Amino acid sequence: MANVKTKEKTTNPIGASYPRNDVYEKVTGTAVYADDIQFGNKLLHARVVRSPYPHAIIKRVDTSKAEKYPGVKAVVSGKDFPERIGLYIQDKTIFATDRARYLGDPIAAVAAISDEIAIKAAALVEVDYEPLEGVFDAEFGASKEAPLIHPKMHEYVCPNFIFPVPHTNISNHFKIRKGDTDAAFKKCTHVVERHFVVPHIQHVPIETHIAIAQQDEKGKITLWASSQSPFAQRNLIAKGLHISQSDLRVVAPLVGGGFGSKAGVTMEAIPVALATKCKGWPIKLILTREEEFFTNFVRQGLSSHVKVGCDKDGNLLALEQKLYWDGGASTEYGVNVTRAGGYSSSGPYDIPNVKTDSICVYTNHPIGGAYRGFGMSELHTGLDQAMDELAEKAGFDKVTFLKKNAVSAGDTLVTGMTMHPNGIQQCIDDVAKSIKFGSKEKPSSPDRLRGKGIAIMWKAPAMPPNPGSSAWVELAEDGNVTVGLGGQEIGQGTFTVMAQIAAASLGVPYEKVRIAGPVDTQYSPYEWQTVASRLTWSMGNAVRAAAADARKQILEMVAEAWNEKVEDLDIVNGIVVSYKSEQETPLSNIVIYGMPKKNDEGWMGGPVIGRGSFMPKYVTNLDPETGQGARAVVHYTVGCEGLDIEIDKNTGKIYVLKGAASFDVGKAINPELVKGQIEGGFVQGLSSAMFEEIKLKKGVMTNPSFVDYRIATAPDVDFPLEATFAEVPQDDGPWGARGVGEHPMVPTIAALGNAIYDPTGIRLHGPPYSAEKIYLAMLDAGLVK
Amino acid sequence: MINPHPGLPELQYVKPTTLAEASKFLAEHEGVSRPFAGGTDNFVRLRDGVLKLDYLVDVKGLEGVREISFDAKKGLTIGAAVTMNKVASHPDVLKHYPNLAEAAGSVASYQLRNRATVIGNICNASPAGDTIGTCLVMGGVLKVHGLDGFREVPLSSFFLAPGRTVLKPGDVVVSITLPVPPKGFVGTYKKLGRNTIGDLSIVGVAVMGYPAKESPSGYLFRIALASVAPIPFESLKAEAVLSKQKITDEVITKAAEAAMESVTPIDDVRGSARYRKFMVRNLTREALTEVWKKLNK
Amino acid sequence: MNYSTITLTVNDLVETVDVPQNMTLLQMIREKLSLTGTKNGCSAGECGACTVLMNGEPVNSCMVLAAECDGAEIVTVEGLAKTGKLTRLQETIIKSGGVQCGFCTPGMLISATALLKRNPNPSDGEIRDAIVGNLCRCTGYVRIVDAIKQAAK
Repeated sequence: MANVKTKEKTTNPIGASYPRNDVYEKVTGTAVYADDIQFGNKLLHARVVRSPYPHAIIKRVDTSKAEKYPGVKAVVSGKDFPERIGLYIQDKTIFATDRARYLGDPIAAVAAISDEIAIKAAALVEVDYEPLEGVFDAEFGASKEAPLIHPKMHEYVCPNFIFPVPHTNISNHFKIRKGDTDAAFKKCTHVVERHFVVPHIQHVPIETHIAIAQQDEKGKITLWASSQSPFAQRNLIAKGLHISQSDLRVVAPLVGGGFGSKAGVTMEAIPVALATKCKGWPIKLILTREEEFFTNFVRQGLSSHVKVGCDKDGNLLALEQKLYWDGGASTEYGVNVTRAGGYSSSGPYDIPNVKTDSICVYTNHPIGGAYRGFGMSELHTGLDQAMDELAEKAGFDKVTFLKKNAVSAGDTLVTGMTMHPNGIQQCIDDVAKSIKFGSKEKPSSPDRLRGKGIAIMWKAPAMPPNPGSSAWVELAEDGNVTVGLGGQEIGQGTFTVMAQIAAASLGVPYEKVRIAGPVDTQYSPYEWQTVASRLTWSMGNAVRAAAADARKQILEMVAEAWNEKVEDLDIVNGIVVSYKSEQETPLSNIVIYGMPKKNDEGWMGGPVIGRGSFMPKYVTNLDPETGQGARAVVHYTVGCEGLDIEIDKNTGKIYVLKGAASFDVGKAINPELVKGQIEGGFVQGLSSAMFEEIKLKKGVMTNPSFVDYRIATAPDVDFPLEATFAEVPQDDGPWGARGVGEHPMVPTIAALGNAIYDPTGIRLHGPPYSAEKIYLAMLDAGLVK
Repeated sequence: MINPHPGLPELQYVKPTTLAEASKFLAEHEGVSRPFAGGTDNFVRLRDGVLKLDYLVDVKGLEGVREISFDAKKGLTIGAAVTMNKVASHPDVLKHYPNLAEAAGSVASYQLRNRATVIGNICNASPAGDTIGTCLVMGGVLKVHGLDGFREVPLSSFFLAPGRTVLKPGDVVVSITLPVPPKGFVGTYKKLGRNTIGDLSIVGVAVMGYPAKESPSGYLFRIALASVAPIPFESLKAEAVLSKQKITDEVITKAAEAAMESVTPIDDVRGSARYRKFMVRNLTREALTEVWKKLNK
Repeated sequence: MNYSTITLTVNDLVETVDVPQNMTLLQMIREKLSLTGTKNGCSAGECGACTVLMNGEPVNSCMVLAAECDGAEIVTVEGLAKTGKLTRLQETIIKSGGVQCGFCTPGMLISATALLKRNPNPSDGEIRDAIVGNLCRCTGYVRIVDAIKQAAK
């Protein structure tokens, strides 16, 4: 709407692909990440003593020699911090106490005046271990024969929506019992039964984990960390140390990639523990790349047994899944992945009868945490491929089968919740069109096979029922706006999108909005965590409300000053205008000093400060035996991906000809940023499909470096990638927006698996779909000699 | 490798100015010193604690190590400090030894190739070394300086085991000389990694062929294989197939099969023995086909 | 601990630094010169986050000893935008959306700047090959390659 007097055109910030507001610093090298903060000469360096055994009793820890080593300021170990902490089930201690449960489990830590001294002193810590039989397979771990890794699990504090099975290695058994699958399978004309194994992978943020902690003389702690969860870290660490949350301050600068690895609390607790032993000294712990690969957080492995059936018309009737999640040595976070895997176990398919057992198992493997997709990628890898086979068995074209069975508004979902309007039909159409799915095309040479694959997905933000966001908005004399928020810029572009939301809600140009960063729990408003693809939706609501609140204060003041009605006023391009009288005033000094009353008879208004908060109030618990409940999750984002590939018959190598991805984002606040997320997630998904695997041999990662843990590089993604989106509004999202951060990584493995199957009839047991696996499978199938 | 060093462990950096000085130092500090040029193999091993040294001896300032030159009689001489990128782009290499340019250019990334050297690749003596096979089939001879002065060591007798060579304490490899290639030769290096490029080789095949009247087929070939044996491996059996009879597609396939039969690779983190064997066959066939096409023009 | 005193040029400034002999060029840049734009991603020469120009050529600074750098000319990301004016490549990478978390960006810019200097009109494939040693986890490389192409025009 053009301003009445000024001729400037206004761009609606919502839907505008503005350039990001954090990139000048990033391209000039002036952006500050945690390792860039200067602490001066007082900075101490931490080194962790780690278990060389995946499972062992700790008989003795003697730190005396290390403590005496010149230059050492503090040494801590399990006995100093026996308290169990955890985001969901409280099953972990900062350092191993009675036993080491995975290779690399922290036993003790040293803080010293240099890395060299810390390393030498750490080598002097004496630990006596008694190795125990290890559990290296989730299904075995869930069985009666397996030794118990957490024999005292029944004593652990646990929220009422997690269901551990006492005196087993099962820390969560989530059940879905919807309808009657036994009866339904009898009615199925076609049934597919398959077993898939998805290996562990790691997030591989280019910036490894880093945390610096300092305790002052009064006992207050400051923690600087590369973090997705400053407030959750404050909460959990304070609880673990028995201090008040307000006495622990978390400062969270820019993050060099998170992908879930920097959610919750992991290594951050170690420098905090050390800091409590030498007040006044800042202590830095930065993980080496090798430590990053297996000592902190990984994505758990999954063994999934899928049985799915349809009638002769291709309608899905029944789905049965047994999901064994290899949770690792601690499942304080992983139990929720198991739960999410359970309540979303149908995938975006409308299936009247569903039986799911989603089981989280302790193993002596690296710790499974939050990873982009939160169980959905692992789940869909098996589910979408089983569906692919079922479609073929039933004689249906795959796109037809997907469109027929995809969830639509009003469907009763696997948990009994009702599905909201969504754009999955459009997403499927977009992708199918982009790779010309229906038409079989010739390979580029007789040495190649050509195939196409398609897969659909859904995901809901996996959160406790009450995760909150809050925000404030203030203005300066120059009319610039500052937004206070607690969500982290981890590369997804949230600072930019929040600035756009504030700009739109207030009525100022995007360029006039700054974000108050770095996030600092001392000053920033509360945000649950930067996870779950929830910020655009949740924090966006809070920012929108805060800006609207500021706008209301401004308009009420001006209305009073001009003796007009608020309804006739507007803020456009940072100028308050009246459509009635055509008066206008810029948003500058009045937002601080207020406006004078007539005849100098006083003042009205004052410093404008808007506030907003958002918390979903409608999520309900689910029945522990059936997984049924009125509202399991806040909403679902749906989507589809497709691949057009060639397979080299001489090497088994995959050459992608084209990739397509489409997701229903509700409303694209910044379309180019949305596409950037889709592209990046697709490539990360493709990387997990083609290359990635934590190779575990009796609990030992045999490839803990970039040399042998391969990820996608630029030449590997030399193909056109078409990223599109649908916009079916979310009823309680800002301008209808939903998240999309995780979703593009979810269906890629299945899409590739389906594309490999297309020309070869080969369906591999699990990713990565390496050239070797494909070649040897083709050889064994007689496709090549 | 639970806890590698965040940077490099404590060590001393030594930069001798003459070969005599270098050899003397290395001999006197036997076992705790090592020569380095690019450092890309040594630094990684030092971090992991697999290699423990007190001294790193920089060879980049020694006589003759920066030289790269072609002589119509002697051939190509590449000094120890000449980087992979320099070799891959040098006009004399591109003109007279294009297969060496191909091999050197296939190593790692552009950044690493600005530090890694062909001599370093050879001295590291990994069976996966990308440039070793090509240097082998081109008849490379190393010039080594030791306590007893200079000597020549043909590449064919240089390797003993993975990471072990005939070098003695005090030895510094100064350069490698590849003789003038036979007239009309064609060569190539085919490498299979997990990624499109930039990976270590799961299998590498260096092939060269040239017209030779004395050979029944009219041609002689040399075939060297990477990552399929404890040391870089020349498949004499495969070469013999190509010299005995007139060369056709079938004969090439036979030679590739002979190459496959002649290797005993292991299962390792990069690939299985079974896959490697088939890839030796397929890559050798691909390389031979390409080389034969050009020879036969 | 043995030290070397080296004199080198970093972003056109001459610096004389005492460095422990096991200190890498990356550590020296970040810790002794406080130029924290260059990042540490792996310390093993694999990820490229530490890429700087050394005598005009991109190298992984984690794989170079500081002690080797006497007399060297180093350019880091801070030295690209001389006098505050962004280079064409810095502008195109912003415009194309090739920066998300930004951690790979400094190394990526150095590699790409060197590429455009030696090959002012690179093909798509040549661009990708030139940055194979710069790992990015956020963007999928799509917009980074696009930015380098745009800067070449």
